[in-house]
Amino acid sequence: MSPTEPAVAPWSPATTWVVRSLGIAAAAALAATIWLGLWVTPPDEVQHNLVRLVYVHPPIAWVALYLAFGVAAVSSVLWLWPRTRSRFWDRLAASAVEVGVVFTALTLITGSIWGRPTWGLWWTWDARLTSTALLLVLLLGYLAVRRVPGDPDSRARRSAVVALVAAVDVPIVHFSVDWWHTLHQGATVLNANLSPTIHGSMAWTLLLGFVAFTLLFAWMLAIRYRVELLSEHLEDSELDVALHERWAEGTGSLPGEPGTALAHSGGPA
Amino acid sequence: MNYIDAGYAIAFGVLAAYAAVLWRRRQRLERAASRSRGPQAP
Amino acid sequence: MWRDTVLVAGKDLRIEVRSRVVMHQVVPVAVLVLVLFAFALGPDRAPMIQAAPGLFWVAVLFASVLAVQRSFALEAPDGARDGLRLSGLDPAGIFLGKTAAVTVQMVILEVVLTAGVVVLYGSHIRSYPSIIVAGLAGTAGLAAAGTLYGALAAGLRVRETLLPFLFLPIAAPVLLAGTRAWQAALGIGAGNTGSAGDPWIRLLLVFAAVYLALGVVIYGPLQEAS
Repeated sequence: MSPTEPAVAPWSPATTWVVRSLGIAAAAALAATIWLGLWVTPPDEVQHNLVRLVYVHPPIAWVALYLAFGVAAVSSVLWLWPRTRSRFWDRLAASAVEVGVVFTALTLITGSIWGRPTWGLWWTWDARLTSTALLLVLLLGYLAVRRVPGDPDSRARRSAVVALVAAVDVPIVHFSVDWWHTLHQGATVLNANLSPTIHGSMAWTLLLGFVAFTLLFAWMLAIRYRVELLSEHLEDSELDVALHERWAEGTGSLPGEPGTALAHSGGPA
Repeated sequence: MNYIDAGYAIAFGVLAAYAAVLWRRRQRLERAASRSRGPQAP
Repeated sequence: MWRDTVLVAGKDLRIEVRSRVVMHQVVPVAVLVLVLFAFALGPDRAPMIQAAPGLFWVAVLFASVLAVQRSFALEAPDGARDGLRLSGLDPAGIFLGKTAAVTVQMVILEVVLTAGVVVLYGSHIRSYPSIIVAGLAGTAGLAAAGTLYGALAAGLRVRETLLPFLFLPIAAPVLLAGTRAWQAALGIGAGNTGSAGDPWIRLLLVFAAVYLALGVVIYGPLQEAS
């Protein structure tokens, strides 16, 4: 049993300021995106008002598939690599995966909502949709592995391997489904491409959308990281308290506060 | 309700809900952490 | 590393020869899957012949989960897993050895299943080399990825439900490529000539190579997590 670690310090003023600014900037940018997207920008020639979903779906997809998953995969590798191993990477990976699950699910949902009126289909098995759906399942697998009780080091190892395997597998899946469609003779290759032609105010709004959701991701990642850090220490200190109480039951006395470094000594702090 | 409004509502609704959940979890944890920190303040 | 591979593979296979769990439990289940699908798709031969490649690989996929679980169950009793870890054997060798043992068992299973498909569904094999290479490559890939995840899930109490959930999504490319390769080899599907399966066989080989390499590198660190 490791000795009690010092309790987690609150965020420094600088960190608090950065995170708060991220949050405010994200909220403002998102509000602006909604306003521009729903009212200010014109409807498309081909897709009419449906094009407004382009300010929401592609940015969310970018955050899910590249930003969140990218951070998770890179962090996992950095944790596995002995020279850069640090609990920071493990916590960052876990945070990125959880936020990534939300964004990936939303990618599929918004894509589906966009696809239904555009092609009449809720779903199609093209390369992008299929690999996104698979990514969601793999990320859920990561979260499932993370829930398994055990010491933090083992849990970190297992999770990192899951993330690494996912990072390897998703491109393979994307590639093979893509191949599947192009090599399949006689099949109508459904161009599951929603991209409209973007110009003028639409382009700026789209850029704003990307920036807004990226800021939101950064903010959520920071908060989620803090939650991870705090809950880890809470687990440790709860364990300390429980051990201390059991020990005290055994000896019939309660010398000193739990949480101080005397779980095995017996004198006051 | 048309598809565009539904899309926006779901996307921002879910994100707002998740943000709220995260915020609440953090608040509760910060309170617990400051409690365990308190008695040891020099 | 190779000496350890042979050592571990030999041990696993010898246990199988003596206990015959895979032969007597896993293979019958896989054949049963084929029979049940006949009930689901029949009585006309045509749908069965069309679906045969996919069904074969689905049956192989599920059987591979069972085979991997069995592979790690061998070490569950009496702290044998810790014994293996502390034995000083090269982890990469342990990984390759277990993968090899699973592959051998799965290949035997596939021979039986192929015979089943030919007999029960009336498929005709047009190109034996394609079938054999596709089968070997696909199986090696499944065994490698499965062994990697098996090690991850080994010893966890939730093992039974966690392994399929983790492993099956990863195995999707093998299912896709294997089915296409088989379709070409069986002459099914529009305009499928014998060589149409070649890109898919290449994909199976890449998959196997990637997961074998990944397992060799990652198995050591992973074993320490328990």
